Amino acid sequence: MRKLSANTALGLGCIAVALVVAFVWIPLDTDTWLVERKRGKYIIGDSLAPTLAMGFVLVAGLLLLLEKGESDEYPRRDNLIFIGAMAGIGIVSLLLMRWAGPGIAALFASEEYRLLRDTAPWKYIGFVLGGVTMIFTMITFVEERPSWRALWIALVAVAGIILLYDVPFDDILLPPNGDV
Amino acid sequence: MTDLGTLDYIWLGVLAVFQGPEAFSLLGLPISVTVVMVTFGLILGIVVGATPGLGSVIAMAISLPILISVFGFNSDALLPVLGFLIGVMKGSTVGGAVPAILFNTPGTPDAYMTTLDGYPMARAGKARKALRISHFSSVSGDTFSDIVLILCAPFLAILVEAYLDLPEKTALLILSLSFIAAVVGGSAAKGLLSCGLGLLAVYIGTGEDFYPRLSLGAPALSDGIPITAAVIGILVIGAIFFELEGLWHQSRKAGRIEVTRDEGDQRLHWADIRRILPYIGRSALIGTSIGALPGIGSTLAATIGYATGKRRHDRNKAKEDPAFGQGAPEGIAATEAANSSVSGANLIPVLSLGIPGNTAAVFLILAAESIGGLNPGPAVFKFSTEQNPELVIAFGLFTTMIIANLLNWTVGGAMMRWLGVLVRIPKHYLLPVVLLLTLTSLYVQETAMSAVWFGFGFGLLGYFMKRFGISPLPFVIGFVLGGRLEATARQAFSATGGDPFFLLKSPIAAIFILAAVAVVYFSFRKPKAANP
Repeated sequence: MRKLSANTALGLGCIAVALVVAFVWIPLDTDTWLVERKRGKYIIGDSLAPTLAMGFVLVAGLLLLLEKGESDEYPRRDNLIFIGAMAGIGIVSLLLMRWAGPGIAALFASEEYRLLRDTAPWKYIGFVLGGVTMIFTMITFVEERPSWRALWIALVAVAGIILLYDVPFDDILLPPNGDV
Repeated sequence: MTDLGTLDYIWLGVLAVFQGPEAFSLLGLPISVTVVMVTFGLILGIVVGATPGLGSVIAMAISLPILISVFGFNSDALLPVLGFLIGVMKGSTVGGAVPAILFNTPGTPDAYMTTLDGYPMARAGKARKALRISHFSSVSGDTFSDIVLILCAPFLAILVEAYLDLPEKTALLILSLSFIAAVVGGSAAKGLLSCGLGLLAVYIGTGEDFYPRLSLGAPALSDGIPITAAVIGILVIGAIFFELEGLWHQSRKAGRIEVTRDEGDQRLHWADIRRILPYIGRSALIGTSIGALPGIGSTLAATIGYATGKRRHDRNKAKEDPAFGQGAPEGIAATEAANSSVSGANLIPVLSLGIPGNTAAVFLILAAESIGGLNPGPAVFKFSTEQNPELVIAFGLFTTMIIANLLNWTVGGAMMRWLGVLVRIPKHYLLPVVLLLTLTSLYVQETAMSAVWFGFGFGLLGYFMKRFGISPLPFVIGFVLGGRLEATARQAFSATGGDPFFLLKSPIAAIFILAAVAVVYFSFRKPKAANP
């Protein structure tokens, strides 16, 4: 069997996505149709614009099937390993950023985190732990070895960002303190 | 009340810049906050331009929330904030040449062609001279482009307001989207895909019904996707992942940076200027023409400027002169004048039509939307006899561009020569720091962790788009223009009494729609190789 080129696979994917979104998601998740009649007048419904957007994707998919002479670009195994690692590091770091402060406050503080979110050191816990984890782990992954230098860079960078956003402005809250 | 004419508006714009809130006084002369912000923006722009891996987009993304926090949401904030962003835009165009000339590493993608002659000149001991040529050419091209912008944008806007009604404006938006989708990147199909995804993303959680469409009942989706999260995620975070991966694949050993000592005369003489002026002139024209079309980037302008200059140089050069690619000053001039002259002209579609043509223009629109008081588009240039505050701001904006150019002419060159050291910062340390800084700036602007998650998610999408050879720019322009396209179409449909063929009834609208189809068709027939 002949192997699919990346463009063909992408084109088929686009067509499938466009059809599913246009015929399943949009009708099920939108209140009005393409065009509605309201008080005797025809008006454009909420479904029309996203359906036309999917029209763009559908045409793109068809053109991809016909397009010739294009370079066959797609993510290889190496690329997927890299971006998988970055996604994992990012998700863990952001979860730490969001939950470290409330978690530690629940264990050691007498008040709930919401009341402490603008008080040092509580307000820095999540940002420092999440931020340092993100920078240190990403540098370590790229260098393929942990180093003290990477840790120092992460600590200094996080401190620098705190100095940039938190120290000079009373009305700015570091993540996640604005919406905990 | 006195009636206001064109000259009055220009003068009010100039006064708005110089007589705005005072930052400090110098020898008894008040210096306005706007002038100070343009200066800071320019300095930051030169620094980020000279740092490989950074660029004007990252600098704008990080500074915007800080600027809005400092200046607040009122019309007084517009000129300082927009002036700062314009400073960044202009500074980065000259800064990108520094590492290209000194270390064979372009600071920005459009400075790649500068390496071809700049680095050989630096190796031959003419680094400072090459930097001077680059600075002179870059600022000349930029100044020319700004003059064209200032002269053309108001006329284009007046024409649009005079001749285009709602159906024509809808058709023009469709034409702009299909043009950007067709010409940006390597293939029309991938451009359309990118644009379609951007449109779909902006329609999530919006609409006129009580139930926010396509929100899956999730509270995070029901308010819509924040524009900053989508734009910064796709453009900045996606690019950080892409670049970081390149470093992961490399041996990651920075290698020794070779520094050659300067030898001989490093000054730029009148004879040198006369030699490079024809190249600057041609490239400035090429860059300005390309820049005026939305979506075509400075990289293409640099490539065409360089190729055109090379043809002329091959015909006219003396035997002993170096050829293009071997350290010809004309090569640097042709490239730098072309890529810098894109920046001013790129603002023509933004200011006259409200259609952003490049990423820097997207940030100007983001800033104007966040602060309020200016809606870039044809309505800005209404020369009404009663004061139109948006028009005053527009002329104030032109004034900030002239200030930025004057600063670029005077201090920009000296700054360029000091910044060679920035290229020594290892990118694999810099990029994760920039990622955290970008996510933090997103949070500061939106005050919601969901915006950070959206930004990160769109960053992953941006990475995959790049891996599939899909340009993220049509996505961003689709996202920015999608809401306006729908609103204009709704109004046009109602105004024509629910006529389903409202886009084809007027000849102008029909021509725009036909052109939209034609541009995709012809672009599809002739695929391009480069992906800017």
